[in-house]
Amino acid sequence: MITLTHFLVVSACIFCIGLYAVLAKRNTIMILVGIELMINAAILNFVAFGKYDKVNYGGQVFAIFAIVLAAAAVAVGLAIILNVYRHFNTINPQNIHELKD
Amino acid sequence: MNTFLHISPVTASILVTLLPLFACLVQALIGKKSISGNIALVAIIASTGISLFGVFLPIWNETTTLQKWAWFTIGERTLEVGIHLNNLTVLMQLLVCIISLPVHIYSRAYMKNDEGIHRYWMYLSLFCFAMLGLTVSINLLQLYIFWELVGFASYLLIGFWFTKETAVQANKKAFLINRIGDIGFLIGIALVYAHCGTLDLSVLFNQTGTQIAIDKNATWVTFAGLAFFLGAMAKSAQFPLHVWLPDAMEGPTSVSSLIHAATMVAAGIFLLCTVFPLFNDTVLLVVSIIGTLTALSAAIFALGQYDIKKVLAFSTISQLGFMMVGVGIGAWNAAMFHLTTHAFFKCLLFLCAGAVIHEMAHLKAKAKLDIDPQDLRHLGGLRHFMPKTFTCMVVASLSLAGFPFTSGYLSKDSIVITAYEWANHLGGVYVLIPILLTIVSLLTAFYIGRLIFKTFFGDFKYRSYIDEGIVFHEAPSLMLVPMFFLAAGSLFPLFGISLTDYHSAWIMQTLDAGTHSPILAQAHLFIPILLTGGAILGWFMGWRWYVKQKYPLSENNRFVHFAYKQGYLNEFNEHIFVRGTTGLSRILYTFDRYVVDGFTKLFSWLVRQLSVVAYWFDKHIVDGIVNLLAGTMYYIGHLVRHVQNGQLQTYLGFALTIVVLGLLYLLIK
Amino acid sequence: MGVLSILIFLPLVATLLILVLPLSAKATFKYIALGFTFLQFGLSLYLYGNFDASLGGIHQLEAYQYVEQLAWIRMDLGAIGKLEIDYLVGVDGISLPLIVLSTLVMLMGVGASWNTEKSPKGYFALLMVLNTAVMGIFSALDFFLFYVFYEVMLLPLYFLIGIWGGERREYAAIKFFIYTLLGSVLMLLVIVGLYFSVINPTTGAHTFNMLHMMNPANYVDGSFFAYIANYHEVFGIPARLIGFIVLFFAFAIKVPIVPLHTWLPDAHVEAPTPVSIILAGILLKIGGYGIIRVCYSIFPDIAATTNWWLALVGVVSILYGALNALAQKDLKRMIAYSSVSHMGFVLLGIASLTAEGVSGAMFQMISHGFLSAALFFLVGVLYDRVHDRYIYSFRGLASLTPKYTAYVAIAFFASLGLPGFSAFIGEAFVIIGAFNAESMATGVPRWMAIGGSLGILLSAVYLLWTLQRMFFGQVRLKGGLAWQEALTDLNTREQLILFPALALALLLGIMPSLIFGNLNASVLQLIDLINPYL
Repeated sequence: MITLTHFLVVSACIFCIGLYAVLAKRNTIMILVGIELMINAAILNFVAFGKYDKVNYGGQVFAIFAIVLAAAAVAVGLAIILNVYRHFNTINPQNIHELKD
Repeated sequence: MNTFLHISPVTASILVTLLPLFACLVQALIGKKSISGNIALVAIIASTGISLFGVFLPIWNETTTLQKWAWFTIGERTLEVGIHLNNLTVLMQLLVCIISLPVHIYSRAYMKNDEGIHRYWMYLSLFCFAMLGLTVSINLLQLYIFWELVGFASYLLIGFWFTKETAVQANKKAFLINRIGDIGFLIGIALVYAHCGTLDLSVLFNQTGTQIAIDKNATWVTFAGLAFFLGAMAKSAQFPLHVWLPDAMEGPTSVSSLIHAATMVAAGIFLLCTVFPLFNDTVLLVVSIIGTLTALSAAIFALGQYDIKKVLAFSTISQLGFMMVGVGIGAWNAAMFHLTTHAFFKCLLFLCAGAVIHEMAHLKAKAKLDIDPQDLRHLGGLRHFMPKTFTCMVVASLSLAGFPFTSGYLSKDSIVITAYEWANHLGGVYVLIPILLTIVSLLTAFYIGRLIFKTFFGDFKYRSYIDEGIVFHEAPSLMLVPMFFLAAGSLFPLFGISLTDYHSAWIMQTLDAGTHSPILAQAHLFIPILLTGGAILGWFMGWRWYVKQKYPLSENNRFVHFAYKQGYLNEFNEHIFVRGTTGLSRILYTFDRYVVDGFTKLFSWLVRQLSVVAYWFDKHIVDGIVNLLAGTMYYIGHLVRHVQNGQLQTYLGFALTIVVLGLLYLLIK
Repeated sequence: MGVLSILIFLPLVATLLILVLPLSAKATFKYIALGFTFLQFGLSLYLYGNFDASLGGIHQLEAYQYVEQLAWIRMDLGAIGKLEIDYLVGVDGISLPLIVLSTLVMLMGVGASWNTEKSPKGYFALLMVLNTAVMGIFSALDFFLFYVFYEVMLLPLYFLIGIWGGERREYAAIKFFIYTLLGSVLMLLVIVGLYFSVINPTTGAHTFNMLHMMNPANYVDGSFFAYIANYHEVFGIPARLIGFIVLFFAFAIKVPIVPLHTWLPDAHVEAPTPVSIILAGILLKIGGYGIIRVCYSIFPDIAATTNWWLALVGVVSILYGALNALAQKDLKRMIAYSSVSHMGFVLLGIASLTAEGVSGAMFQMISHGFLSAALFFLVGVLYDRVHDRYIYSFRGLASLTPKYTAYVAIAFFASLGLPGFSAFIGEAFVIIGAFNAESMATGVPRWMAIGGSLGILLSAVYLLWTLQRMFFGQVRLKGGLAWQEALTDLNTREQLILFPALALALLLGIMPSLIFGNLNASVLQLIDLINPYL
């Protein structure tokens, strides 16, 4: 049988891949991809746990919320990246370090 | 108390002693400007006169006179200086004056034209002062002081010609060997001081014995006696400490005649006579044995010598041996008698020898010969050229050999005969001593005969030079007058009217040794006959050998060579004592440099190594901890630095870490 | 201000004057030094002449003369007690002759320094500081004050040897300094120990006063150095014995005894002539003085039991020093070793614990003081002219320089103990005293005295051998004709320095009462102090 655990493990893996992409990639677009993956992993978690709420279907509802929010985040994120690129001429986050002290 | 010009004998004695000292100081100050020696001469004439009339005549055969003054206090005891006048001391003081006077006169001629003559007079006066002071000292310390000063004067005079290598080796040797004796003398003084509490001769001894109770069988008495004897051994050239005397002949002959024949070497005998009451039988036996040994060995060595002065030097040593035996058998008055007569004839022998040498040196210079003027092998037949010298020398030789009508006959026989009486009294093996003394007497006659024959008889090797015109003088009158005076003193009338009975000699009458062995009448008759007969026989043999040239032994006879080499004693001393001491000193210095100082250097090396270790410890461990601390801090900082590196992803990573940590905390809690 | 303090601090005034004057006044420094030293000498003679010879001294303050006592350091340390250090100076029959000797030798030293080219300002300033220190050591009767002067004495010497010395001067200077300092540092431990063991009877506080330390009644019961029922031990050795040994060790280095003597040949040879004069003339005597004043007076009970060992050390020093002197080829080193040998006599005399022995030892110290000064000066005369001290470089000097030879011969004969000179009296009475020791049961056996008397033979051996090697015979110099011209005879200044020393040797040899008169009471007092413990 496919239990809850299988879903959680899959979503954990996707989350970790996403986390890795955020922390280690040298391309800001890939960071966004990572963020997306992390959000999608969380969505998968929601859907997995939705099984236990047969009354309000809370899991499914949250999942749709999250997909919308993810899309909005990406849009904003892309806008930021485009602006940053215009300024710094690079999308390598390691070269964008003027925020340090 | 008889007084001369109203001067007390003590004051007179002080004057006698101090006049030569003033002469010495004045001569020292004036230096080269006075070379005539008049200062010294005037002083010694005055001393002689005052000594005879002011000291000797008042005191001889009268009671002892003395005077002392406090010198310094040490601890609780006060030491004094002073004058002690008794028969022995006034005799000795007079003798020194009487012998010094002719030597002074003689020196004017002998030392004429010598470069350093001003020093000569200075040293001679210094010697006279020291010797005169020695004779009348009140206590042993004062005696010791003058004893050493006499040795110092001897050093100066032996090394008078200080550019001559042999002379400066000789005076060093003389002083050092005398120093060995001085140690003995000092130990004797210390022992007497420790056990008797005083060094004053008038308190310790009187005419017949000791005043203070001394247990003669105590060990310290034997040691003290031996110690004093060691002092006398060195000063009076007894075997084996006699080796300095032949070498001392390097000095001018007039010096040899005064110091090394008549006076200084007699000081040892004088000392033993002074402390005689202290000696116990053991010590006296030792004295006798060594005296005999000295007499015998020196006579044998004299037989092989070619240097005229060395023959006389060994003769002196031999006669000193006789005197020692005199002391050892208890007849110290006989020893003093022989000392007095010996002073006259030995001094005369040297002065005559000096005259010969003087003339030979002139010949050598004028004829440009390369010879040793003192070597017997170059002399011969000189009686034709120096008849008066010859006469004097014969008189002196007869006296030395103990021929009748001379003073030496009386004094030598007194010792030999008393020795027989002593041996007879003790019995047994002791008779060896008088027998050996007899043999020595015969040898004495022989070697002095040899000297006379080789010098004055036969043919003169260098006659040809004289025939060519170089003049060979008789000795000048300035030399002859002192010689005649001494020759007169070598004949019997000065000492006793009786030709044969030495007991009636005025010296023997007054000086009383206190010990008497029973008299042997046969000895009184037999010995003189034996000695005189033997002497004549010896001279006959010598005549045949040396004048007639019928010498029976080969040229390089081993025994003669052994005697000539003085029994290889000098070589022995050189190898054992001199090389031994210098070798030991070098070993000790190496020890000092490498071992003792090595310890110091080792210690300092250890401390420096310790410091290296400490430095390492400090640098790597103590400082290491400090550096470790700093390094750790740096590393932590290095790590924490990344919190603020401006990298977005790093910030995200840290945020993740904190969140995870928080989750873990909540989970675990 | 007492006469004694003036005597001590007069040279400091000279130092200040020399330091203050500008370098351009170079020529005046030596005159200043000479003037002040001369004044000091006169002052010390005045003290000597007015000395009351009947008073003993040693352990009774009332019997000391020219005493000055000022409260110097007074501190209340609360629970530990009160700290009391006095400026206490005074002289008795032991210290006063040594003070006169020191002023004389200083005068000779200044005379010998006349031609110093290198930094005369520093040189004379240091010399005067040394002068003060030496005077202070002989006069101080407070142990702290004594120690201060003792340390002050070391420092100028280090510089004097290290800067104005010969080839290996730095090595010699540091060796001398560290060696002596080792001894004195250990001495400091004992000083502190004594401080805590002794109570000043009037104030009840601990004290450094040496005279209070000499009185058994002043010791605190159960303290480390207490006299009675003392059970303290260090490694199994009784406390008082340790104290004596440590103090003896400190002074023995200065005497110097064998085997602690190896600093002496190096220091003497490398030091310039005037410093050698002062080292040999004064500093060695501080060792002897320290043994008498400190070791024997404060620890008389131990002195009575250890004198056998001290006498043995003395005899060994005599013989070992003399044999080493015999092996030397450098003239100055030979005289240095002869100093070791002659100071051995001093130790033998002190250890004999008889009046003759101790008096002889004191006399020998004084005699050796100016005689060794004269000897080193004579070596300096030769070195000044040709810069060579090697004995075998010279031969037959008597023909070239008769006056110099005469002085050397007199100095050598005086040193080897010829009667008529002072050294004879000293050595003879040391030997007599050592012999007497067995009669008086002080514990020194006779064979030691006999061994010591061999020393008089050995000193004659090396001195006469040197005289013969260098002065007699045909002239033969290593430097040939150049040297022959350089070797001029003694000039006036040199004779002026030498003559008084040798004349004094003769004077004291003929009239020893000049010294013994003032010395006797103190010596008897010392013997009385030690006798109860024999």
